[in-house]
Amino acid sequence: MLWKPHHIVPAHTKFDFMGKRVWALGLSTLINILSLVGVFTLGLNFGIDFEGGIAIQVRAKEGAIQLEELRTTTAALGLGEVSLQSFGDKSSALIRVQRQEGNAECVAHADTVMKRRVGNGWSVKPGPEGKGDVVFTSPSQLDSIGWRDAVSRVGLTVLERELPRGNTNTAKIDMTPEQRAEWCQQVAIKVVDDAISNKYDIRGTESVGPKIGAELMHSGIIAVLATLGAIAIYMWFRFEWQFGVGALISMLHDVISTIGIFVLFRLDFSLTALAAVLTIAGYSINDTVVVFDRVRENMRRYKKLGLVDLLNLSINETLSRTVMTSITVFVAVAALVIFGGPVLYSFSIAMLWGVIVGTYSSIWIACAGLVYLKLRPEQLRRDEEGAAKAKA
Amino acid sequence: MLNLPRWQTIAIIIFTALAGFFALPNILPESVDDLLPKWYAQNRINLGLDLRGGAHFLLEADLRGVLNERMTNMADSVRSELRKKQVAFKEVVAEPNGHVTVELRDEAQRATAIETIRTVDPSLVTAGAGPTIDVSFSPQELTRKRKEVIDQSIEILRRRVDETGTIEPTIVREGDDRILLQVPGIKDTTDLKRKINQTAKLTFHLVNEDVAAASGGGLPAVLPPTTFLVPTREGMQALRASNPKAFDEIQSANPRLTPEQICRRYHPPCLPVFKRVVVGGEDLDDAKATFENQSNGGRPIISFTFNAAGGRSFCAATRQNIGKRLAIQLDNEIISAPVVQSAICGGSGIITGVFTPQQTQEQALLLRSGALPATLTIIQESTVGADLGADAIHAGTVAALVGTGLVMFFMFGTYGPLFGGFANLAMGVNLLLVLAGMSVLGASLTLPGIAGLVLTVGMSVDSNVLIYERVREERANGRSALGALTAGYERALTAVIDSNFTALIAGVLLFGFGSGPIRGFATSLSLGLLTHLFTATVFTRMLLATWMRWRRPTELTL
Repeated sequence: MLWKPHHIVPAHTKFDFMGKRVWALGLSTLINILSLVGVFTLGLNFGIDFEGGIAIQVRAKEGAIQLEELRTTTAALGLGEVSLQSFGDKSSALIRVQRQEGNAECVAHADTVMKRRVGNGWSVKPGPEGKGDVVFTSPSQLDSIGWRDAVSRVGLTVLERELPRGNTNTAKIDMTPEQRAEWCQQVAIKVVDDAISNKYDIRGTESVGPKIGAELMHSGIIAVLATLGAIAIYMWFRFEWQFGVGALISMLHDVISTIGIFVLFRLDFSLTALAAVLTIAGYSINDTVVVFDRVRENMRRYKKLGLVDLLNLSINETLSRTVMTSITVFVAVAALVIFGGPVLYSFSIAMLWGVIVGTYSSIWIACAGLVYLKLRPEQLRRDEEGAAKAKA
Repeated sequence: MLNLPRWQTIAIIIFTALAGFFALPNILPESVDDLLPKWYAQNRINLGLDLRGGAHFLLEADLRGVLNERMTNMADSVRSELRKKQVAFKEVVAEPNGHVTVELRDEAQRATAIETIRTVDPSLVTAGAGPTIDVSFSPQELTRKRKEVIDQSIEILRRRVDETGTIEPTIVREGDDRILLQVPGIKDTTDLKRKINQTAKLTFHLVNEDVAAASGGGLPAVLPPTTFLVPTREGMQALRASNPKAFDEIQSANPRLTPEQICRRYHPPCLPVFKRVVVGGEDLDDAKATFENQSNGGRPIISFTFNAAGGRSFCAATRQNIGKRLAIQLDNEIISAPVVQSAICGGSGIITGVFTPQQTQEQALLLRSGALPATLTIIQESTVGADLGADAIHAGTVAALVGTGLVMFFMFGTYGPLFGGFANLAMGVNLLLVLAGMSVLGASLTLPGIAGLVLTVGMSVDSNVLIYERVREERANGRSALGALTAGYERALTAVIDSNFTALIAGVLLFGFGSGPIRGFATSLSLGLLTHLFTATVFTRMLLATWMRWRRPTELTL
């Protein structure tokens, strides 16, 4: 009957969680080591947020997408590594192009695009200084406004005053190699566009230059470390230091194994993935708090109980809520996995895993941590009694 | 006891109703907008670009380039000033690191030289020893200039991107040297990129006073071939206010109307000016809002500086035209036409007039926009087609509805219609609060933001789970229904608060470090956790307390 309350977990479980802690720790260590090994050998499938590069979402103008044909077309463009994946429905795909270096090839691409889009008399050549500079040649004389419009056709944004003032046929544009590398992302988008636009509609593009990718990676790592640290410190203040460390270990466990999932399933590790990792760190601690809270309470209530029994008791008492809170989040995230669409897919899968592993680690890793950190209930009790006496 | 004073109950209800009021426009169809007051109807959550479709750019300003150019000009000015004061020097060199090095022939002239350099720009600082003087801007001045460059670029971008004032782009500073530009509703960015580095067209022209006098303020019927008509900026703004339709016509005219055509067709106040350009904006180095000396009245003025070439032509033109007006034309509008008081030589001058300090700020900004400060390089770009955005909205909505439905189903199933209902009601109120919060804060809802909402739904029933499980436990330990409910609520509360806080830490840090759509996720998740603190500690408590007082239950169907 739906309309009567149900007990998802039987009211009085007496499972010996801590007795299995060696198994659990062994399993977790294995998973974590495998995850780390995976990261260093197979590597993470970094999205363009971190790696730089271009992602283009396309949809076939007619019928289903021909992935093989599209792969051959795009691979032959000379833009370096191009990868393809179907994205959402049958007629859509995501084309990923590697980050562009500002090399001579890119200038040659710009030359082709210029000839195709503006006219045959045009040319783009690397400049005489051999750094980032580029020389444009036009079939007719142009002033600075004409030049600005012309170079913007290949995605180059440059100040008018850096363009020739009078009427000239050539314009040398000074860029640093870094600026040219950023511009080359723009050129690459146009190259892909020209190659596929007869059969495919471009629905969205995303391009991340070399500079910003490195920065995002840097700030992403800091964000994860800062989050873990801040939560551990919070736990330390609210409980004892052992709880803080236990929480930190279980969070690290969750974060590392989540990253392992990204390696295993070759999911895109992008900014959204980072969001998932941080959210998992914050969420997995929820269940840990519930268990720890009860451990603390039981320490006061059952003065004679040893730590392992105390933990077992606390885990069993809180089992129903640990499971139920996880179920509610699990079903919500499952809806995201199934219906949330391709953009949210990696995020949702990671979150789904995070909910499961977070629950598991709250029970075994965080609590087993307390055992190995030699949390001594007697000591705490004595301290508290001492404090109470001092107050009185 | 699980009890609440009446005033608190009333306060909670008012607060919740208020939240509902602010969240309501998000649910109403747009067709009823006309019936509502404008401030209220506009109180909708903005959709992020990934849902609405549009282009997003992160632009980086080349501040080094700007500084180097300034210093090259500075070296020119220092050279000419030193010559004037007859200070002998070997060389004055602009270094690539933003410094100017002056090498004197005679060390004894060092003090005079430094004094002279200060007259070029008082914000310069000097260092070095013996015959070598190292000239640079002070760190404060550099920071100020950097900010000025970015502000100016933002202003120019706004003028360029949003010529018609209807596009509503978001243009904000990001960090030290970056600008975030978001333009909703466009898919083809070619035109936008063309505009990004487009400079405003700034020129100085003499007013043809003969024609102006003859026509007495009205439109002259015939013009000499050397002269044309240009509308004034105030005139155009007045036209925009009084006749928005005409203004739109002017903006959307293709091919674009010449200034003279605008004057003839729409009759805004116009001035006849000579076609010959006295100086172009590309020769203007700087313009800033400042104040006159106290002895002259201390009025707000605009001071400006030309480079060497600009200074020479300006000097000649002003010397010959004292008492006449010099029109400053920006993008086919005259932004001001001050009377030439005296010959302005030496490359810098001031514009006086009846200005408020704010007006001088604006005018200086407009003047500076003639000389666009820095090259803007696109370092990140994304465009989302409107259909893709629509797909995302659809997927997000379905996921949110299904997720919410599943959670409600589980809560009903586990805790029965009554207590499950309380939990689901609290969850609904929580969602309402998040939506209201986002509306009031003007936050954007992105696709990851929807994911954040779905997570909020899943997490916000957790507090009820903790409370109910505790109540079951207390009940099993033999407490009365009332006692169990009270104890259950109170004992569960610390865990509820702790778990919310830890998740909130993650949310806030994510907001700090993330960018773009991820911020949307962090916003909705953090807001959800915050409002959840309210619903868990206050709203749920009110529900339980009210129910208990009303029913005085002896048995709990939990």
